[in-house]
Amino acid sequence: MDKKIKRLAIANRGEVAVRIIRACEEMGIETVLLHSEVDVNTRAYRMATKKICIGPAPTAQSYLNIEANINGAKASGADAIHPGFGFLSENADFAEACERAGIIFVGPSPRAMRTLGDKVSCKALAKKLNLPLVPGYEGDDQSIGTLIAEAEKIGFPVIVKAAAGGGGRGMKVLRSKDEARELIESAQREGQSAFGSPKVFLEKYLDHAKHIEFQVFGDCTGRVIHLFDRECSVQRRHQKIIEESLSPSLTPDLRRKMGEVATMIASHAGYRGAGTVEFLLQDEQFYLLEVNTRLQVEHPVTELVMGVDLVKAQILTAQGDPVFPDGQLIAPRGHSIECRLYAENPFLGGVPSTGLLGKVEFPEGPGRRYEYGFEEGDEITSYYDPMIAKVIVWDESRRRAIEKMKKVLSDSIVFGVHTNIPYLIEILSHPEFVNATMTTRFIDTYFSESLKEPLMTDLEKSVIAVAQKSVRAGGSSADAGGVAEFPSPWSSYWRGI
Amino acid sequence: MQLKGEFQGQEWQAEAQIIKGQLWVHVNGRTIAAESEKKSSRRGSVKIKTGDVLAPMPGKVTKLLKQKGDLVKAGEAVLVMEAMKMEYTLKAEVSGKIEQIHGAVGEQVPLGKMLVKINEKS
Repeated sequence: MDKKIKRLAIANRGEVAVRIIRACEEMGIETVLLHSEVDVNTRAYRMATKKICIGPAPTAQSYLNIEANINGAKASGADAIHPGFGFLSENADFAEACERAGIIFVGPSPRAMRTLGDKVSCKALAKKLNLPLVPGYEGDDQSIGTLIAEAEKIGFPVIVKAAAGGGGRGMKVLRSKDEARELIESAQREGQSAFGSPKVFLEKYLDHAKHIEFQVFGDCTGRVIHLFDRECSVQRRHQKIIEESLSPSLTPDLRRKMGEVATMIASHAGYRGAGTVEFLLQDEQFYLLEVNTRLQVEHPVTELVMGVDLVKAQILTAQGDPVFPDGQLIAPRGHSIECRLYAENPFLGGVPSTGLLGKVEFPEGPGRRYEYGFEEGDEITSYYDPMIAKVIVWDESRRRAIEKMKKVLSDSIVFGVHTNIPYLIEILSHPEFVNATMTTRFIDTYFSESLKEPLMTDLEKSVIAVAQKSVRAGGSSADAGGVAEFPSPWSSYWRGI
Repeated sequence: MQLKGEFQGQEWQAEAQIIKGQLWVHVNGRTIAAESEKKSSRRGSVKIKTGDVLAPMPGKVTKLLKQKGDLVKAGEAVLVMEAMKMEYTLKAEVSGKIEQIHGAVGEQVPLGKMLVKINEKS
């Protein structure tokens, strides 16, 4: 049977759609972008072989609509669907609908997704295997009274999470009984709106834990391996901001034990493709948190230290080809860091910043990688996630990688929307981050307030005065000690093609 | 456009662009959004607390926590909005009585829309 994928549909948008298109281009696979009405001015749209509009901007009517995605894929003649991350990537019903439609779903089987992706049944499996878990409540009784009573039983602080959730949405920390009702209800609403289910569960909140995760991969023969670990302790509202590989916090012994737990739970669920087993680490004790049955936003840091292409490996596995031959993955090398660029104003408490993108320029160089889905002329809307790009660096040591990242972020240009670049640079310079002692409370502790906007230096004021004159003069000349160069012809022509 | 110049003997290079009437400048590793024309600087002005609760971003109203006529304390949550799939709770800056509520649950509101008006004197 020839299962070779010839045309692959992408049920996603933004930088991950671009990432998947790049992998397909290298493999000689045609791509079909299943996009919403507003997403025509995006990089993925310009790159995909074919595009099919599956509905209006609101996610429930497009990116979360199973039928629309399946119909779009069928109409395009695609033989496979890659769900990316977020949206339908962890939805077993979607994976099943793909199977029924005779389309290969690039990901684990619906059964493995149900076992591991549902946080409640994942915990049940972990319990059966005797793996370490955080104490909590994951019962079916979802009445507000029961949830509040269970939270009291666990003992505050307690964290409430949407059972179908991820990416920090539908997660709240309850510090006392007083705020329990409001926050649980808020988590239920966010779960409903972002994932289509109001179901929540409760867990003891570990208040000085580190977030460590293992990249696992199941190949087409059923063998499950891990590709080492990442640390993602720098989180705001449970949304990761900076990730790195390897974790600077693991002893060889912990790394070995956690890696064993990660591969054990994945292989017991018959896992296929890329997945991530998340842990919390506190006082040298680790607890299994959840399993993400998909590619992870932060997969590039693993790719850089391990020298692999996880998206290509996913697609190869989906069509039954072998990946990662024995002996190839001997050891990670160097250190990699990823920063998520959010369209938000760090000087105004991080409120989302929307608008028309101007110049976007990332400085090239060795050990630098940029994943972005939007370019000059594209619009950042409030319909979707505020992450507009990812900046990833690799260097021989963690310290060097941090220095490189700071330089790269300073030299990156994003005009038209505010970004969290100043915030990222502050974090990277903080002694706790530099010394790798940060916990998941790091942002709350040191960066809960808006950044203070630095006063403009005399030099900056002078530059702005020159710029004000130059742009009024149409960019052709300027005085006051400044010379305006002619704009590059590319900036005016290449988007008109 | 690329700009070059000299300031107090120091050479500089900058990138500048006007987008929708705003000037964006990148110089010495910092991006600054400035007025596209020289105006008297409003920087450094003190933020005055008002009874007007404004939408801090475009988004959707998801929950009204107070009703017209309710008494609220400064710092109390009055309304919940959703933008980019995250919830934001808007709080009263002053104590007083809610005079008006503009915006219903489910309504898409623009940046800066006055959503709740609180009368401080009552």
